[in-house]
Amino acid sequence: MTVIDWGYILAAFPDLMRGLGMTLMVSLLAILFSLLLGLAGCALRVSGIRPLSYAMRGYVEFIRGTPYLVQIFFVFYGLPSLGFTLSIFWSGVLALTIWASAFHIESFRAGLASVGREMHDASASLGLRRLPHALLVVAPIALRSALPSTLNTVVGTIKNSAYLQAIGLVELTFVAVDRIAQDFRSTEMFLSICVIYLVVILGVSALGHRLERRLNRPYGSR
Amino acid sequence: MDGTGAAEQGIAFDRVNKWYGQMHVLQDVTFSVAPGEKIVVCGPSGSGKSTMIRCINRLEEHQAGTIRVGGVEVNDQRRNIEQVRRRVGMVFQNFNLYPHLTILENCTLAQRWVRGTPRAEAEARAMRYLERVRIPDQARKYPGQLSGGQQQRVAIARSLCMEPEIMLFDEPTSALDPELVREVLDTMVSLAEEGMTMICVTHEMGFARQVADRVIFMDRGRIVESAHPDDFFSNPKEERSRLFLSQILH
Ligand SMILES: Nc1ncnc2c1ncn2[C@@H]1O[C@H](COP(=O)(O)OP(=O)(O)OP(=O)(O)O)[C@@H](O)[C@H]1O
Ligand SMILES: [Mg+2]
Repeated sequence: MTVIDWGYILAAFPDLMRGLGMTLMVSLLAILFSLLLGLAGCALRVSGIRPLSYAMRGYVEFIRGTPYLVQIFFVFYGLPSLGFTLSIFWSGVLALTIWASAFHIESFRAGLASVGREMHDASASLGLRRLPHALLVVAPIALRSALPSTLNTVVGTIKNSAYLQAIGLVELTFVAVDRIAQDFRSTEMFLSICVIYLVVILGVSALGHRLERRLNRPYGSR
Repeated sequence: MDGTGAAEQGIAFDRVNKWYGQMHVLQDVTFSVAPGEKIVVCGPSGSGKSTMIRCINRLEEHQAGTIRVGGVEVNDQRRNIEQVRRRVGMVFQNFNLYPHLTILENCTLAQRWVRGTPRAEAEARAMRYLERVRIPDQARKYPGQLSGGQQQRVAIARSLCMEPEIMLFDEPTSALDPELVREVLDTMVSLAEEGMTMICVTHEMGFARQVADRVIFMDRGRIVESAHPDDFFSNPKEERSRLFLSQILH
């Protein structure tokens, strides 16, 4: 019977927190960049400009159709041979951003598709031009309906940051795996990082749901 | 029917045609509406009523013939379309309110972004029209919190805020529970009494008798009959009008 060595966990705690700091840092940057790129990519995707729209479609299919680990290796090992060399940290941010952007593009696109013809008719009949219609009517409605799946991608970004240990980024999972290699306390370490990930992600989800409730309040009883 | 002078001010359709693929949905539609006139359009489902009134403010394009609104031709010129839309308001079957904006914001958005009206002035005007449709107390609520009848009255107020000369209604009461139809029709009647030029697609024959100067009956993309409501209801000339009336009046 294994007994959990709480003292060992306590001793590893400062290391784990440093790892968590790195996890949060790459994730936060990737979340920010991917939301912006997702918006831009979605705009291109629905721009009606064929080559741009096809490029975005291809990008989304490529990211969805290839393993995430392979994408990371491509960024870290592949890009330098093409002349772009990035630090481990920025390789990690880039790989996560590339992954998450593709999913955000799809969420935002689905959100846009949920805005019916009716809104266009209303704005057109009132004489509202394209740009204010897009920014003040379509975008707010689309973003609200995209929120749940956007939240999924945000949570996925944090979880996927664990893969970055494969390129040597000293984030939470790396710290745990590294200690296990030295001390063989795998139960203690995996249990610890599971709890830490869970706390972070439950926190993010709770924030997200609060935002969702607040934004959906206007829709009243419908 | 109307002198050309009147047509210059109102709406004039001249042999308007429209196709969806192979389907000929408007066939040589010709009629005019003088300022202050109230027209009720009726006809079986799929006869082209919505398509016809949506061509007036270019929510749909026609492919042949001419449409003029206040002397401005409705064509692909953006300037013309904007001019026409400034004169023409529209109310839809499903209200089409902006769900994420309050009632007040629904009524001020276009004022502020189309006409550049300052906020305070836009809100004052919105409140005036919300009072007209008798729901000023709902101004801070969202559309989803209102009944269908209230939502439709907001939609009317939202249109009126742009101070149009002509109002189009596309089956404004068809999506409402029967007990809510009256309040919307009352609002439309009072609008008619104030002299608004109106084209209403509706099967509310009581409303037609009460306010319409003319009933236009459409079938399969054509105007089959156009007559004063008294004549149309008691003595329809065309076989198809008779058949239609016997169906909706039981
Ligand atoms: N976007 C479209 N594409 C193809 N066909 C269309 C389109 N919109 C309408 N139609 C067809 O055009 C014809 C006229 O439609 P319209 O909506 O104008 O009829 P309506 O008289 O308003 O009918 P209803 O009483 O059901 O509202 C119908 O046969 C309809 O199926
Ligand atoms: Mg219709």
